[in-house]
Amino acid sequence: MNILQKRVFKIHKNLRFLPQKCQRNINSLDQVDVNQQIKETKNLFEFEKEALDNEDFFGVKQLFTIKDLFENRVHLGHKEGSLDNRMLPFLYGSRQGQCIFNLDITKDYLVKALNVAAHIAYRDGIIVFFNRNAFNSHLVERYAEEAGQFSHTRFWRGGIFTNANIQFGSITRLPDLCIFLNTQNNVLTQHAAVRDSAKMSIPSIGIVDSNCNPSLITYPVPGNDDSYQSIQFYCEMFKKAVLLGKEKRRDLLQYNKN
Amino acid sequence: MTSLLNGVRRTNSLIPLLKQMKITFSTETVQAAPLAVNTQKVSKAMKAYLERAQEHDNFMKAQTIEFQIGKRHLANIMGADPENFTQEDIDEAIEYLFPSGLFDKKARPMMKAPEEIFPSRKAAEFDETGRPFHSMFYTGKPNFFQLLHNIVAEIRKAQYIEDKMIQRGRLPAETDRLDMTGFAWLSKTDLEKILVETISDLEYNNFLNTMNRLAAQPAAFKCREFALQYAKPLIDQSKISEIPKPQFDENGKQFITTYECLRKTARADVTIRFPGTGKVTINKDHDITYFKHVQSREQVLFPMIFINQLGKFDVEANVEGGGVSGQAGAIRWGIAMGLRSFVDSDVIEDMRVAGLLTRDYRRRERKKPGQEGARRKYTWKKR
Repeated sequence: MNILQKRVFKIHKNLRFLPQKCQRNINSLDQVDVNQQIKETKNLFEFEKEALDNEDFFGVKQLFTIKDLFENRVHLGHKEGSLDNRMLPFLYGSRQGQCIFNLDITKDYLVKALNVAAHIAYRDGIIVFFNRNAFNSHLVERYAEEAGQFSHTRFWRGGIFTNANIQFGSITRLPDLCIFLNTQNNVLTQHAAVRDSAKMSIPSIGIVDSNCNPSLITYPVPGNDDSYQSIQFYCEMFKKAVLLGKEKRRDLLQYNKN
Repeated sequence: MTSLLNGVRRTNSLIPLLKQMKITFSTETVQAAPLAVNTQKVSKAMKAYLERAQEHDNFMKAQTIEFQIGKRHLANIMGADPENFTQEDIDEAIEYLFPSGLFDKKARPMMKAPEEIFPSRKAAEFDETGRPFHSMFYTGKPNFFQLLHNIVAEIRKAQYIEDKMIQRGRLPAETDRLDMTGFAWLSKTDLEKILVETISDLEYNNFLNTMNRLAAQPAAFKCREFALQYAKPLIDQSKISEIPKPQFDENGKQFITTYECLRKTARADVTIRFPGTGKVTINKDHDITYFKHVQSREQVLFPMIFINQLGKFDVEANVEGGGVSGQAGAIRWGIAMGLRSFVDSDVIEDMRVAGLLTRDYRRRERKKPGQEGARRKYTWKKR
């Protein structure tokens, strides 16, 4: 075991429970909304409480196993030389100079991210899929449409979020969640939408590879963001999570009607 | 984050408005959570749109009322029945009451229903919750990027077919290609019209590259229908230069008629008959003496002189408009075009080189102010 591997191991032990902290944050945010309208209906409040108290309300944990991650090449990072030090906690080590992700950690983060996506879909939020890799863009657009959500896989014109009212000609509703299937643009610098969504306090989920900066992403998921197969896997997962959220919502509204 | 409970709150002032406006949404969009619509939650974006729409509505209502009153007044002035006063009657009345010498018809006074004068507004691109219909809405040019997406889908289809062929042990033949000869991809302005979006030169180039990539697929024959939506047929040049075959008249003579022989403002149609005696008939009851000057007569006969066949063809021409040289030139061109059917290709090439088959597009140059004519200046002496 070389020096890099030792260092990785030490740090990742300390940071293992980060996703749960994130989860608590969401819960507290939602609680505010709930308190405002608590008087209107008790019935819905109970539903909401049930959704938030249950750690895996939509059953996203059952969507995949660590073996799936491995088979879809999620563990493969970039070469050691391009490593961003902020990604160290998520690494298992390196093999022949190539960074390898710790799939145990990735699994936790991905489950949390899927849970967030499902919750947002449950609340009828707008989810936008981002990807700047031309090779995968058709795939991402297709999955976004199938999930009944939105996609942006093209050149990012500045101000789409920060100057939306001018860009779209009138008041426009911004997305409630941005999912970045890669967080870099086609010249390997950070996608401007990452910064813009952080500015507009739009929560973001991002697949962060070993050469990416996870610090502006609300729910980072460490993993391979380049190969077609892994992107297809993430798309499939997020699509399923979104559809699970929508299904629950449909049930709820049906119940509400009767 | 949107709250689930927002759905229960009803914005009472806007819902009747929504119903009254009968907004219909296109079905060809992202399935924008039918649930959201059920909860009747109205977003800021929709509120703003509804306000704008209502403003426009009120404005149009006021305009319509004004138009109705104006129409009644006009009918009374003209002594007609105000109930059955049609748009045609209005136009007539306006022309009678406000005669205008302005050349452009659009600049003359008019009175039309407000729907015809004020352009219709763009419908909302999102539903009541502010959720856009199009899955690529946030790109700002959803239709264009949807088109690129669709082209790539076609490319994938072609590649799939090619793979299947190879699996069956057959390589794609030349006939399996997408044959786009005689077609050109849509121009930027045409494409913009279809998409209802403005696109940059770079984006148009992307469109061309993607289309060419589709056309280069070895097994893209099934994508023809799709590709033709974005292509325009080229004008067939060979048809124009095709030489017609002579027909036979009741005396068994070969004849050929050339219509639309134009020179300056003259217009002629010319029939030549073979074999003939060199008789020239112009406007039925004139012969070559229709032209007073020798130069014009030479012009008419020049094609026959050029091919050494003077006296072997009869010429009948009807000519109108223009002056002497224009009429002579029109007939000359008609005869030369007709003679192509009776001579071999070498002679045709000689005629072309001599300029007999070229349409002369020169027109009269206008007179300039401060000058005597087009170029000539007034006489001017310094001292």
